[in-house]
Amino acid sequence: MANPNKTCNAEKFYNEILSPSELFAARSRSHKIPVRGQKDFFPDDSKKQREQLQQTLEEHWSLVSEERVERLGNLVKATWNPNEQIVELQTPAGKFWQTMGFSSDGKQFLLPEEALYLMECGNVLVFYKELPLSIQDGYEMFLSSDTVGLQQFQVFGHLKRLGYVVHRFDPSLEPSSYVRQLNLPQSHERGGRTLKRKRSVSPTSSQTETRAESPAEKMEEDSKLPESLLVTSAEPPEAQNASISSADDSRVRTWRTWNGPGRDSEKTLITASSSARSRWDFSTIFFPDLGHGGQRPSCMAPPDPSLLPADLTAGVCDVAAWRHKINLRHVKMSAKERKREQHKHRRWRDMNKDKEVRRCSNWAEYHDLLARRQAKPRGQPAHLWNAEVEPLHNPTRPLSTAELLDKISVIKSTHLLDGASRLKGADEWRICFNVYQPDSVADFRKSNPGKPYARMCVCSFSGPVPDLGVIKQLTFQSGDVPVVFAVVDHGDISFYSFKDFQLPRDVYP
Amino acid sequence: MEDQNQESSDPVVALSLCDSTPLLWRAQDLRTVRSQSVVGALLGSLPRAPRQNLKLGRPLLLLPEEERLLRERHAALWVMTERTRSRIQAAEMSFLRREQQRSFEEQSVFALEDRKSALQRAMTSSQSGKNEALQRRLLDLDQNFTFPRSALAIQLSTTRAGLNYCPEARAFLQLDWPIRDQGNAQFDTRYLVFRDLWGRGFFLTSAGKFGGDFLVYPGDPLRFHAHFIAICLSLDEPVSLLDILAAARLGCNVKKTVLLCSPAPNGPVHYTSVQWSGMV
Repeated sequence: MANPNKTCNAEKFYNEILSPSELFAARSRSHKIPVRGQKDFFPDDSKKQREQLQQTLEEHWSLVSEERVERLGNLVKATWNPNEQIVELQTPAGKFWQTMGFSSDGKQFLLPEEALYLMECGNVLVFYKELPLSIQDGYEMFLSSDTVGLQQFQVFGHLKRLGYVVHRFDPSLEPSSYVRQLNLPQSHERGGRTLKRKRSVSPTSSQTETRAESPAEKMEEDSKLPESLLVTSAEPPEAQNASISSADDSRVRTWRTWNGPGRDSEKTLITASSSARSRWDFSTIFFPDLGHGGQRPSCMAPPDPSLLPADLTAGVCDVAAWRHKINLRHVKMSAKERKREQHKHRRWRDMNKDKEVRRCSNWAEYHDLLARRQAKPRGQPAHLWNAEVEPLHNPTRPLSTAELLDKISVIKSTHLLDGASRLKGADEWRICFNVYQPDSVADFRKSNPGKPYARMCVCSFSGPVPDLGVIKQLTFQSGDVPVVFAVVDHGDISFYSFKDFQLPRDVYP
Repeated sequence: MEDQNQESSDPVVALSLCDSTPLLWRAQDLRTVRSQSVVGALLGSLPRAPRQNLKLGRPLLLLPEEERLLRERHAALWVMTERTRSRIQAAEMSFLRREQQRSFEEQSVFALEDRKSALQRAMTSSQSGKNEALQRRLLDLDQNFTFPRSALAIQLSTTRAGLNYCPEARAFLQLDWPIRDQGNAQFDTRYLVFRDLWGRGFFLTSAGKFGGDFLVYPGDPLRFHAHFIAICLSLDEPVSLLDILAAARLGCNVKKTVLLCSPAPNGPVHYTSVQWSGMV
């Protein structure tokens, strides 16, 4: 090796550039990696060891200093757009298009991390200001900690090299807890928009998205509802001014295809109420029942604008057309069913027919009566239940062993998702990627990727360990897909996951 | 490469910033730091076989301690991305076009020769009957050989072109060193241990996967196994016995010795080795 000082001066302005003959020769170079021999335990300064080290190092350097050489015809050309942080393809995409990239306005795009990975694989040549970018340029220009930083890219590259399909995770595209609870069918249109949405930097695309979103998602985005409110059923809209939000035709059509005919009442209908936009109280927002009787006006008043997204206007809706489409026949019950209904009815009434209850002249007496009735079966040592501290279990009430064990356990077991829906997301913790298994690549469709194999959260060995709150929140956000923590320690990446664990119980009911 | 230069004449390597992390790009720089027993970690896909994780390629990521060591020895300097780029933009564009045309012409000559020699080889090995046909093809090749543009082999550079600097710029660029280590005590402890072990001729890499701070190799990690797992603790830091037991047990299982390393203020570094005795 030459004297370093000399090399420094003699180095050309453009270094590490191959000559045409080197380029030509590189077309037929081997793609094998030399196998590494057994390592030694201790350096003993022997000639043999020195030679071995020298040879290994030379192999290492020849591998590491090798430059990428590709035929011009095999390269996909693209340009870097720094404002939108996106890479636009100039020539038709290659095989990678099956799992990477997205199109918008008739153009094909790659996300920066995808483009960088493909540059490293020698598939894509990216230009900026008409100059081809080196891998170094790619690392320095494409990676930023706001979106995908160096550590995230390390994880991305690691998984891609193993063959996984890796996409950015977009929380707004996941079905919210509300949607999950309602068990709404997943829209297939979504996937297409998924990719568009990633470009939300451009104002034009965000406009088109608002329309396509499902109403349930919208609600959830606007308001983080406490779970108790989510289960509220729609009350019969007798007393209300039911109204249907009718937007432009395309919107209505979209909703219909999502939910199928005959279930319209669930979606579109919202009654005006004094509810604030930030917190929707579903006990005061009613879904009109289109099937209820024929005496209703055929038009419904517009919904309260405060319930609608800001840029949406809804007018009066003619519901006559909808009526034709739904089943208005009365429910015919068999004799048996009717009997059961009546029986149910009677049991409810029984309370007032009870003679003792009728004798009660006020609530206090009624409560006394109830207390007396409940105390009766306890029988024997009734005084035990009079004190402030009561026995844990009432022996007269039958109880399974498991329930009893559960009752006497001092520390209650808790589930990972307990209370998770109420947790606020922490800024420093976010899910970065959706990961799909390599064997799914053959029939993978970007428009409908299906359920991911796992979701990746990238963190560092030098950073904090996620606390229980973070784990709960991320697990909740991820739904039924496991969250994996990819922990980066300089060059090494380790994967960890936290799972709910149920202690085995000795007794089964 | 021999390392008999004095500190001041050590070749200078160029660090460039990617998402606030310093990376080494030039193959020459990688050799230079390795000759100074600085290992780092390779991050990129290997050009020869980009779809595997066993052997990675450039860039090289330095540990914060390695970076600080090079800086203190004035053996590394910072290269600013933006300034370099705008300066060379115009020159590079015309250069690139000329270069590509020249490369195309030369490569088509190579391709023609390649094809010819293949035919000639076939001629010598085959019988005389076929020879005439081959002769005709050879003539034909001479007259209408075209080298398609799409077959042109081009380089996807790893390093940015024009990444150069002279020793005089050293002092100047040194000023631009971004402040990365926030002077926290843990980092100082780690650095003192790193510098001491490195000074004793060991090679060090990061040991997160073994629950320590550094893996300590007696020679180049390409040829030798690590002997120690170094755990850096400041002298006055209380340690739980369970942590030490856990570390020792883990070290025992991977056949390495756990080293508790504590630098004394303005003094030597104290090393305590912990080993599972194996006594029942």
